[in-house]
Amino acid sequence: MKKKNRFMIIVFLTPALIMFFAIFIYPIIRTLIMSAYNVPHVTADVSTWTFVGIDNFKKLLSVNLFRTSLWNLLRIWLFGGLGVMSIALLFAVIINSGIRFRSFFKAVIYMPNIVSAVALATMWLQYVFNNRFGLFTTFFQKVGWETMANIAWLSPEMKFTSLLIAYSFGMVGYHMLIFSSGIERIPKEMYEASTIDGASKPRQFTTITWPLIKGVLKTNIIMWSISSVGFFVWSQLFSTVTADQQTITPMVYLYLQTFGAGNTITERNAGLGAAVGVLLTIFVVVVFIVTNFVIKNDDLEY
Amino acid sequence: MKKLLSVIALMLVCVFLFAACGDSTQTTSDPVKTEDKKTEATDAPAVEEAKTIVYWSMWEPTEKQGIVIQKAVDAYMADTGNVVDVQFKGRTGQREGLQPALDGGMVIDLFDEDVDRVNGTWSAYLMDLEALSAANDYEATGNDALIAASRDAAGGTLMSIPYQPFVFAFAYNKDIFTEAGVTSSPKTWDEFLDACAKIKAAGYAPLTCDDAYMTAWYGYALARFVGQDGVTDVVTNGKWAEEPAVLKMAQQYEELATLGYISENLPSNVWPMGQNGEFALGEVGMYINGTWLPNEVNAIAGPDFKWGFFNYPAVPDGVDGVEAANFGAQCLAINKDSLVSEEAFEIIKYITKGEFDTMLANESMGIPVDSANAEWPVQLAEAKVVFENLTKRYSWAANAEANVDMTPLLKENFIKLCAGQMTAQEFVDAMEAGS
Repeated sequence: MKKKNRFMIIVFLTPALIMFFAIFIYPIIRTLIMSAYNVPHVTADVSTWTFVGIDNFKKLLSVNLFRTSLWNLLRIWLFGGLGVMSIALLFAVIINSGIRFRSFFKAVIYMPNIVSAVALATMWLQYVFNNRFGLFTTFFQKVGWETMANIAWLSPEMKFTSLLIAYSFGMVGYHMLIFSSGIERIPKEMYEASTIDGASKPRQFTTITWPLIKGVLKTNIIMWSISSVGFFVWSQLFSTVTADQQTITPMVYLYLQTFGAGNTITERNAGLGAAVGVLLTIFVVVVFIVTNFVIKNDDLEY
Repeated sequence: MKKLLSVIALMLVCVFLFAACGDSTQTTSDPVKTEDKKTEATDAPAVEEAKTIVYWSMWEPTEKQGIVIQKAVDAYMADTGNVVDVQFKGRTGQREGLQPALDGGMVIDLFDEDVDRVNGTWSAYLMDLEALSAANDYEATGNDALIAASRDAAGGTLMSIPYQPFVFAFAYNKDIFTEAGVTSSPKTWDEFLDACAKIKAAGYAPLTCDDAYMTAWYGYALARFVGQDGVTDVVTNGKWAEEPAVLKMAQQYEELATLGYISENLPSNVWPMGQNGEFALGEVGMYINGTWLPNEVNAIAGPDFKWGFFNYPAVPDGVDGVEAANFGAQCLAINKDSLVSEEAFEIIKYITKGEFDTMLANESMGIPVDSANAEWPVQLAEAKVVFENLTKRYSWAANAEANVDMTPLLKENFIKLCAGQMTAQEFVDAMEAGS
């Protein structure tokens, strides 16, 4: 019986394992190896690769533009993360506090996630941030707040902030849903008991909700880190044709090195692109380890 | 028995797995049966000898160029009975996907993209077209300048056939020029300043641009002083402070900004806000761009918009004048391994000659490449004059984007310079510090 089971396990696992190795393990190993070579283009024959050791990494760290892209990534991750997590948690708590039309509000907040990023970015760029007839400009003009009405949202000084606002707007719903699923699992009896004991809503949050959703918070931080590291589409949409100091991220830099930049034929080095990929992977792993270290698993959490 | 069944099941799973991952391409030289292919050639001759030509196009199927190309291909299929598998990849799809596909052994007989990319980046995959061109007497009605540019980009041999050409120049609103009293388009920097002053006095912003084209604008401005090689030297070797022309050119733009000749909206113009907004709506006099601009903004500008074009003016002590410009084309190339090269070249002729060349020019407000089609769309009448006076070709942005690590910084600082947020010296210092 045991032998038969082992055979069936092999039968059913083999295709999955082959696919896993072909789709995940092989590209990871190939990327790692590529990062030590100068590779003319992403599918170049191995015979055309030139071994450069850690030179790709050295070069990356010496290039101002790549350092700028890392700084942008850090800002997106930290400031965007704080904003998105705070608002998402607030919405999740409100939605689970017994308000009417709970499902409706949940759907509305989540809605930006089902709209294409291209459509969303176009809305923000051409309408909301438009400094001639845009939403912000006309709104602040109407309320008489001239300083805000005169902000050129898409100028080099404000472009990063505008990008962050637009991106975060679309991400709140996703993380709210994850928080919400954690809060929903907390037994209602706890809240009922604390209400009877006279605990206010803020007190319930700090003593019941927050301690019991630490695992969910950890998940959210890691998910946010992964999506931040992959920040690409929004950056491209906010700076078409040529990259931009304020919106460039490591993924965009990787793309420029791997596929070339804009309309000019520039030198490509897929090895440098691979090195960017390796650095980003290290970033996510570090965040994962630090998050696990800082947010300890408790015996009781949801 | 059960063990046997399990082994068979495992083998089947593996067979399906590898079949799904396998190469789905086919040899194009093989005759194909018409019933297996999507073809409109219902009454085509010699059905059993039909060949398949795979064509990867850089256009989208819904844009005007894509629609006309599909019509040309349909006409080819109806006339010959051959099958053309056109795959519209779009710009990004083509740039990202073509080379890996060719490296992976996919059969792609015909493809297109920008003249420099086709002849530079993809040079290893190109078939020499000299013999096919001669056999078809192609150049008898070809555009000499563009074919020369194509040869030049490939190191002297004709490896691709140009179509959908463009010239990068100042597009202007003729009504604004007339109202301001600018009677002829500027050819020198002084004439340019004079035109700007009159347009400003008439109540319009003389100049605007979008962020996407700021480095192209910069390339032109500097190339007039030092030529394309000089621009390449500055951006790739970081000679921002060492090359005096960088400061001189920046001083010109500091002056334009100080005099209020550049739209105050420029720093916020994320493409296509400037071209679709203030320029197409008739609020700004000039916008530097390719001759594809009328096609892109026609729906907003409307049929009454009177288009004019002039080349970037000559500057004092500059090495280049209005005889030099960035012009180019998209190019059709045949895979060197193609087994249907003659058929592919025939498709090129359908697209770039006669009826469909005219249709392509008219539908996309573009420039025809068949010299027999002398009429250019009315919107490009002045672009034709610019084009005919050219003797020197710049690459895109006169190579100002040649250093991928500097382009974003150049873009940002040039925007700030044009917006009056930076002096000429601060511009030079910022570029030098960033290089």
